[in-house]
Amino acid sequence: MNVSIDTSYKSLNKHHEELCGDKVELLKTADSHILILSDGMGSGVKANILATLTSKILGTMFLNGASIDECVETIVKTLPVCQERQIAYSTFSILQIFHNGEGYLVEFDNPSCVFIREGQLLKIPYAERTIEHKTVREYRFKVQLNDCFILLSDGVIHAGVGQVLNFGWTWESMAEYALKTVKSTLSASRLATTLIKACKDLYNDIPGDDTTVAVARVIETKVINLFTGPPANKKDDARLVRDFMEVPAKRIICGGTSANIAARVLNTKIKTSLIYTDPSLPPVATMDGIELVTEGVLTLSRALALMKYYVEGEINEVFFDELDKENGGSMIAKQIIEDCSILNLFVGKAVNEAHQNPGLPFNLSIRMNLVEQIKEAALKMGKEVHIKFY
Amino acid sequence: MIITVCIGSSCHLKGSREIVKTLESLISLHNLKNKVELNGSFCMENCLKGVCVKINEDVFSLEPKNTEQFFKEEVLRRLSNECNQL
Repeated sequence: MNVSIDTSYKSLNKHHEELCGDKVELLKTADSHILILSDGMGSGVKANILATLTSKILGTMFLNGASIDECVETIVKTLPVCQERQIAYSTFSILQIFHNGEGYLVEFDNPSCVFIREGQLLKIPYAERTIEHKTVREYRFKVQLNDCFILLSDGVIHAGVGQVLNFGWTWESMAEYALKTVKSTLSASRLATTLIKACKDLYNDIPGDDTTVAVARVIETKVINLFTGPPANKKDDARLVRDFMEVPAKRIICGGTSANIAARVLNTKIKTSLIYTDPSLPPVATMDGIELVTEGVLTLSRALALMKYYVEGEINEVFFDELDKENGGSMIAKQIIEDCSILNLFVGKAVNEAHQNPGLPFNLSIRMNLVEQIKEAALKMGKEVHIKFY
Repeated sequence: MIITVCIGSSCHLKGSREIVKTLESLISLHNLKNKVELNGSFCMENCLKGVCVKINEDVFSLEPKNTEQFFKEEVLRRLSNECNQL
């Protein structure tokens, strides 16, 4: 089995706290993805330091092949001791999924991971072990395509306690909600955003504890081929289109001239529309065998702005509403953000003279710059990116 | 009659959306929906002379402000010529 893992996480800080006492680390090795969630005792700076130390130590040791026994021992001996409580304490969960389908999970004092497979909650058998007087649970299993794993801190299952709900959200209700949400969402980031929004609502916007969900979804390796810009030399047109069409992928063309070239080489027609779903972007078009055809630089600029916001900004439901819009920019960004593990860019270097016109209200001669920034943003999202210039 | 408006980047920035809107409303105002088909096209490769608009295969260079004049002088004139020939 050759799978990709889509991971994401979201946290709420306890009310009035500037720092979160939960910490998530997302790591990649050559053959696996690792998710670590730790919840430091207390809140604020102290909790943040405990959780950060724990997740960083675990991450670093795990990456270097240490066993869980060595990791736990190191943590117990390293964490600073809390003055008030006289203990050093931080919970953790570590989930590791290998690309060959092997899975490993170890939990210490966190709420159990929510496993979802084929629309059902799944109980996976575990073994309990005591290491340095700490009892950990270990799970070993095989993952399947579309499996979903949700790690959570106790702030999630306690959401709303004593306020909206007598006993808080509880693990069972949270798991049921997650099950429904998995079906209606595509990506790990959208699922994490929806779950954390539910916690925030249950807390009436005043979280009583640091609250974190970390999600891993097992997905097929999804490839997007994006063609933008005519080749510098016309005789390379056919070669570019041939490369662009070669591997199985979702195909997107950004640019009028590029679309015309593809239509000519593939001997097909572009069907344009005049429906302006967004007044500042030209309408999108369709072509046989191509998922999406759009105008070039303006649309790519919009897509890039959304991708940058996704990487750097505070994403929430409002962001996903913007991503769901039916304009070219949102459509491209959504495909790359939510439905792509490998992005192949096929970029022509020709420059359109008319785009050099200083009289235009927008600098259109920036394709190369845009492509570089799209690559950067996609890399930050953890996608594999390849660029080929013509 | 087929009118094609370029909606490529350069023409878009020069106002092709406004031209599309104006033409759409003029076409319905004159009840010409069954005689005139309005289409969009990606780059017509004449960007320096944008906004590019074609009536059948004849190319024109328009701006939003002369669209109404274009409609009267070219679209309506051609349509009435067609009628006279019948």
